[in-house]
Parts: sequence; structure tokens; C-alpha cells
Amino acid sequence: MKKLLFLLISVFSTINVFGQTDAQLAYSAVNTVTKVGDTLTVKLQYYEGTDANSTAIEPTLYQFDFQYNNKLLNLISRTWQPASTSAQKAFNSWNGYKFTPDSEKNQNDYDGQYASWLSNDASYSSNSDWSVERVTYQDVTALETGQEFVKYEFIIKDKFNTNYTNYANILNANWANYKKSDGTQIGVTGNATLTDLGSIEGGNAGDVTLSLETNVITNNIADGTDYSYKIYAKGDQTTILAEGSFDASGQAVVSGLENDVEYDAYISISDLPEYLDNVVTVSDLALVFAEAIGAGSSPNGISTTFDYYLQSILANVVGTSIPQGGDVNFDDSYEILAYLQGVTSNNTTYITKAGDVYNISGRKSTYGDVVNGIATVSPTFKPTDSNKSFTFVHGLAGDVNFSHGFEPTSNNADIPATAQSSMASQQRVAMAVGAKYQDEQANLDLTSELRDGQVIFTIGSNVTDMVGAQFNIKYDTTRLVLDNVVFDTGNTMTNFSNHIQENGKINIGSFDQNFEATVKTGTPYKLIFTPTVNLQNTAGLITFRVNEGVKADGTSIKFIMN
Amino acid sequence: MKKTLLLLSLILIIGCNPDEIITPIDDTNIEIPESLVIDDIQGLKLESTIVSDEVRMNTKLPYTGIYRIKIRDISKQLISQEKINGKEGDNLLKVYVSSLERDGYVIELSDEAHNILGLTTFVVN
Repeated sequence: MKKLLFLLISVFSTINVFGQTDAQLAYSAVNTVTKVGDTLTVKLQYYEGTDANSTAIEPTLYQFDFQYNNKLLNLISRTWQPASTSAQKAFNSWNGYKFTPDSEKNQNDYDGQYASWLSNDASYSSNSDWSVERVTYQDVTALETGQEFVKYEFIIKDKFNTNYTNYANILNANWANYKKSDGTQIGVTGNATLTDLGSIEGGNAGDVTLSLETNVITNNIADGTDYSYKIYAKGDQTTILAEGSFDASGQAVVSGLENDVEYDAYISISDLPEYLDNVVTVSDLALVFAEAIGAGSSPNGISTTFDYYLQSILANVVGTSIPQGGDVNFDDSYEILAYLQGVTSNNTTYITKAGDVYNISGRKSTYGDVVNGIATVSPTFKPTDSNKSFTFVHGLAGDVNFSHGFEPTSNNADIPATAQSSMASQQRVAMAVGAKYQDEQANLDLTSELRDGQVIFTIGSNVTDMVGAQFNIKYDTTRLVLDNVVFDTGNTMTNFSNHIQENGKINIGSFDQNFEATVKTGTPYKLIFTPTVNLQNTAGLITFRVNEGVKADGTSIKFIMN
Repeated sequence: MKKTLLLLSLILIIGCNPDEIITPIDDTNIEIPESLVIDDIQGLKLESTIVSDEVRMNTKLPYTGIYRIKIRDISKQLISQEKINGKEGDNLLKVYVSSLERDGYVIELSDEAHNILGLTTFVVN
């Protein structure tokens, strides 16, 4: 009988224990936050527990601690939610502490962690990243289950310059102390849904690196310090958000930008460097003439000799503004020829030269991509947590052969051979895209010498297949006066010389716009100077930086001499 | 008749005179300063490595004839070249740098067939 009674009591007790449930301290986000600066509202709620008889336990004291990461959250408000006028309420807060729970107990065993804190098995230790909030609410009657204790509001802070890479685990409860009016401790467990805010956009992007690629840097014509950038909000070109210069290697580190915000960057080159006078040459002229001829030879007028869609913008040096692109025709080719001849045009032109620069820049990955038949460039970039480096490229109007600008590398920038004129397509069979712009060794002899009291500069050539040639020559104006330019290039060549006396520059050359006649070998060009001082010799008096020719197929020959 | 022959001869001589004769260097009365003395039988020497406007140069040549003085930029690209008609031994010349940008250069002495006889560097300041 005793055994039976014991069994019954045991079963009864077990059934009773199964009916008991802990009260809960729940906390969750009321709203969704997506970016730095958003306000996060967190509610803390009470859910009742039951005793062994499944009767609701009615606490009258509710006290709990929670902590939040003060580097990522900025506490701005606390608002009590119960309407009771008899309740006693208190907030306490401590900055610079973080709770170390009792590892022997479940972290959600809030009443257990409370007991451990009292017994020093859990503790608060100094940690400047964390702040502790204590909420105490006491009333004569118990709260309804589901009742919110309090709402907290936090501003999402930028994680830039913190030790945190995300917004996970930035707020959690530490312990809870619920008591009935008779002082009985009530079991409390956690019910948290606020674990990770997920992807938070915005915030200081920190150092964003812009890398610049252009043939001025690649070919050591100059370094990156001639280039500068301006950054605007996407779609805006009035308010500059950041600006600066590139370093010698072509990099710029930009600060003050925000993550997950789109910006437009525009890159420009100083108009001061003398080498800008070497951007547009006979090689560009040949390409533009070929295009003008090719466009006219097609019944539908859409054939092209260019390799890249972007060239139609670079070559469109007169008429429609550069960004619009447009048909390249004889107006453009003759405008370039006039420029090379030093003839001043009344047209509005887009020929890059010293003191007059027309920049085109964009992201490397899409530079020159064709969209609806028109070459495009994209200035837009968006710093994110995972991407803070962007490569931009730069080109110059009139630089059709990319001597100074970046030659597109995106496949979408190539003009397919099927879209080219038949003549150009045949050439493309043997030449990869861009192969027209390679340098070639050539047998030339450019020398100065003192002869009969005059300084004679001769250009000797054994190159037989040039339809065009150009030499940009500089001389010492303090010792020389240019007397004459002698051409012996052949009867059908169009010769040009552009003498800029004040700068001691003379650009000379020839071009056959029919792509048939070639520059005569021998001594096609001769400059005759009279010295203004006594000279023993001429070393250094005359220098030459641009020496290039062009073949009938448009191949640019950059003369490399012994 | 003699006068006519003389005139024709003169015309012929003038007509045959090649127009490619480079004025020979005449520095016979100029003493080579110590700073430009070259001990080897051939070579090139500048009076100063850092140059503004002009600098004296000695080109010591193995024989009388046509030589080349070349100036190359940092990438060794030829940017200036002079042909001289030099005499065997020391030839005191000048390098003029007013039309050169501030940069470092290599100056090179070679014979007419581009065989290098001497070279050195200079900087335009």
C-alpha cells in the first residue's frame, strides 16, 4: 500500500511539474532598419508563466538587465508602455560594461543567470563597447501576458572605424528577476528574435581607391599626377562631393563617401602638359579619313572601319558634341588635317591639344560598351563593405588611335567584323582588335648638323609603305631661327607644317587622303635654321618627340630609331 | 677659250661639290680643360652632369670623320641626334639643353654606323 501511495504521489507530482511553465522576457525589433542612421525600435515584453496547476503566476516585480553594443547603437529614448498609474518604474544604465553569463547555465535561463549574478557566478566586467540597461517595474497587480514593458529607440551607427564587421548580436538580455508579491522568485526564460539586423547599408565608406588607367601612364608619357577627379552624387554634375588628384601611379584615395551610395566620378587631365600637342597626329587623321571614306561607300551608310564604337565619339571632332557621338565624315577628317597644318578653324572643334582638352572617362569594365548602337561610358560607382576599389580609364577627344587614351578592353566595346566595311573586315582577318595601334621598328635617320653656317635638320627615310608621316620637332629659340621647311615627299602627297614660333615647335608631315601614294624615301623633310649665336655644333638644339607614320591599312608606325 | 674652259671647270667643280658636307669642327686653338680630359683613346665627357642651358663636352675620336651625338630619354628613345665632322683626338663641343624638358638623359657618342664609342648621363635642371 505504501508503495502504491508513493507511486501515485510520484505520478501526480510529475503531472504537476509538466503543467508548470516559466514566464518570459521577450524582446524584438518593432521595425526594419536598412541603413545607417535609421531608428531601430525594440520592444521588451512580458509573457506570463503558469504554476503546477497551470494557473497563471502573477508577479508584481519585474526587473531585468539587457545590454547593447554602444558602438553600433545610439540609445535615444526609453518609453514605458503600461498604463498603470500605480506602478513604480525605474531605468538604470551603465556605460562600459558587458555581462559575462554563468557558463554552467543556459544563457536564456534568465532567472538562473540572475541567481548566478547574485552569487558572482555571472558578472559584469568593463567593456567600452557595451552599455547595460536595467528596467524595474513594480505594481500591485500583475501585467497582462504579452504586455510591453518598454520601448527603446536606437539610431543605427556606422560601423566604420569600429571592430565590428556586421550588425549581429548587438543587443541581448542578461537576466530577469520576476517575483510574486510574497517574494517568491519566478522562473523566467528568454524569447528573443532580435539577433541580427542583417545587411545595413550606408555609413562612411572609409578609404575608397580609384585607380586610373590610360596610355599616358602606361606608355610613360607622364605619370598620374597630371590627372584629377571630381565626384558627384549619381546623376548630378553641380555639387562636387569630393575632388583631388591622382598620385604618380594613377591612384587616388578618396574619403568622405558613404557605403551603398552611388556616385559619379569624372576624370580629367590638366591642359598644361606640352605632350597634349602630340595627342592628335597623322595616325588619327588616317583613321578618320578611312572612316569618312568607308562610311560613304556603304549603301546604308552604316559601315565602319573602326574597331571600337568609342572611336566614333573620339573621331567626331567637329559638329555634334562629343558625348552624342555621331557620324564621322569628311568634316572631321579635314578639321584634323587643318589642325595639323596649323590652320585656324572657325568651327567648334573637339581636338585635344595643350590648353584645350576634351576628356572622356568611365569605369574600365564598361568603357566604350555599345548601347543601342552608341558607345557609352559609365561614371558610376558604389562603395560597399566588400568593394572599395574602382578602376577608371580615360581618353581624349581626337585621340582615335588611343596613343594617349585607354584602348577599350570590354568585349562589348568591339565592333564586330560583320559591321565593318568590306575593306576593313578583310584587314581584320589578319589583325586582332587594336592591332592597328602597335609600334613598329622603322629605318629612319633624324639628324641635325652644322653646314655652311646653317643648322640643317634632315629626316632620312627608307620606309616605303607610308601613306602618312608626322614629326613633331622642338628647337632652341634662343639660338635658332627657322628659315625654311623643304618637302620632298612625292608629287601627290599633302604636306603640312605647323610652326608655333613662340614655343619653338614645328610639326611637319604628309598624308595621302586617297591611301594610295606613299611618302618618298630619301630625305623627304628638311628644316633649315639660322643660328643667332656662334655655334660649334648642334647637339641638343633640335629634339623630336613624335615620329610616326601610318600605313594604308591605318596601322600606326611609331618609329624606333637607332 | 681658256676662259670658257675655266668657267666650265669652275661650274663643274661647284656642281660636283656635295651638299652634304658637314662643317668640320675647328677647336685647334682651344685648350681642353682638365675636367674634360679623356684618358682613353676615345670617349665622351661632359663638364657637368647637372646642366642648365648648355654644357661643354669633349668627344675624343679615334679618327677624323663623321660621328653621331645622340640624346636619349629615360626609355632610351632617341630624341635628338647631331652629325659632326670630327677630327681625330679631342673635340671640344657643347650640348644645348634649352629645348629639353627637365629630366634625366643619356648622351651617346657613336660612329656613323651607330657603333657606340662612349656615353654618359646628364640631368637638365
